[in-house]
Amino acid sequence: MALKLSFTPHKMPSFPDARIRSHRVFMASTIHSPSMEVGKVKKPFTPPRETHVQVTHSLAPEKREIFNSLNNWAEENILVLLKDVEKSWQPSDFLPEPASEGFDEQVMELRKRCKEIPDDYFVVLVGDMITEEALPTYQTMLNTLDGVRDETGASLTPWAIWTRAWTAEENRHGDLLNKYLYLSGRVDMKQIEKTIQYLIGSGMDPRTENNPYLGFIYTSFQERATFISHGNTARLAKEHGDLKLAQICGIIAADEKRHETAYTKIVEKLFEIDPDGTVLALADMMRKKISMPAHLMYDGQDDNLFENFSSVAQRLGVYTAKDYADILEFLVGRWDVEKLTGLSGEGRKAQDYICGLPPRIRRLEERAQSKVKQASSAPFSWIFGRQIKL
Amino acid sequence: MASIATSSVFFPVSSSLKQNQVSNLKMVSLSFTGKNFRSLRLQPSRFRVACAAKPETVEKVCEIVRKQLALPADSAVTGESKFASLGADSLDTVEIVMGLEEEFGISVEEESAQTITTVQEAADMIENLKAKKA
Repeated sequence: MALKLSFTPHKMPSFPDARIRSHRVFMASTIHSPSMEVGKVKKPFTPPRETHVQVTHSLAPEKREIFNSLNNWAEENILVLLKDVEKSWQPSDFLPEPASEGFDEQVMELRKRCKEIPDDYFVVLVGDMITEEALPTYQTMLNTLDGVRDETGASLTPWAIWTRAWTAEENRHGDLLNKYLYLSGRVDMKQIEKTIQYLIGSGMDPRTENNPYLGFIYTSFQERATFISHGNTARLAKEHGDLKLAQICGIIAADEKRHETAYTKIVEKLFEIDPDGTVLALADMMRKKISMPAHLMYDGQDDNLFENFSSVAQRLGVYTAKDYADILEFLVGRWDVEKLTGLSGEGRKAQDYICGLPPRIRRLEERAQSKVKQASSAPFSWIFGRQIKL
Repeated sequence: MASIATSSVFFPVSSSLKQNQVSNLKMVSLSFTGKNFRSLRLQPSRFRVACAAKPETVEKVCEIVRKQLALPADSAVTGESKFASLGADSLDTVEIVMGLEEEFGISVEEESAQTITTVQEAADMIENLKAKKA
């Protein structure tokens, strides 16, 4: 049974219309029971939008205090994970030097290396780059969270300092990938740029409801997901003989790892202070499923762009349904969810749900893999309309 | 073929219909007398009428659904029961279909799996797939 659960969010996610693909069960999260449907059927040739009800401020107001009380803790444990700007890498460290005599030659070498890299790899790298370039959306998302938002844009709470510095570090990722792809000559930059403009315009609602418990659980998951994803693109770049590109993906992955450490530390602290609230939050996010930041991507042509991109990422092993299960399992271990005690009845149910989830996801994925898949392909405007196997 | 009594029966229409027809014509109630099928106002070229699923099949589906959703043995699960109303999320539904595949030795295609929202629909699909296999 090639079950396809496609969470193409712009489609009306009514139950009978849902297309089910196992790896997509966990890639986006807009499938709902019919009672939750909102939004109209998507008009063709328009960017997709979120179709779930957008819930706000689900954190009990008295819990915002928790984050104030953690200000000192955050300064001592989270801000220390930021890197001093003076010691940080910059995109220029990994690109041809425009001011040097050897620039032309360096560019020629770059383009020569990129010629050896297949189209499907570039599709995945471009998708990752577009995701990174939608950074304004992610800074926004962090600033929607109650108790930790940057109230003025220059607030001096440790949370606000973290958010701005995190954004600044992430900003280098999109810049670096953008310049590399531009120089490579292998991709249609205009289409990519259009996709970025659409994506930032679309935003995203990861269903974190202004709730920092949900928000930091989401970012913990995502940072690990990007760490895995960039790690895989680094490995594949090396296999294709482009060591410079491998270095680039690797250095980005290293940042993501450090960010993952920070966010998981915050959630670990929340589990310590409020185990019941935090385990309920974790179950809630997992039930809603962790949606990928770029799931609303659109290039003006392909109504299934995100789904197609995800398929290729799955096929190349860059980011798969198995990774989703692995990440959840990792976090369950990292936060010692199994060992939580003193939980309410609801909390225990949540704990059971979470601990039982990774094997269910794996089983689903195994079954889907064992089914014979029909060969299909799709054109990608990012590579001048060439067809890629899905 | 299930034996058909000479009274009104419910004929679930098979999934070979277009989606919007299925949603409107899930149950076609027919009454006829005698054994002359031509008295039925059906156009065989457009419909492939499936027999109503055997009660045992429906019961088996109910059992699988109960197990998946951890419902007590006496809980109200019948042919009309909607998965979503019983508390199934999307993961549960996929696992229910997987359970049906295992139990009945069938392979469910995406398009068919899409149309299943109730126990009855699942049971009917199973009968269809088993008949096709035969």
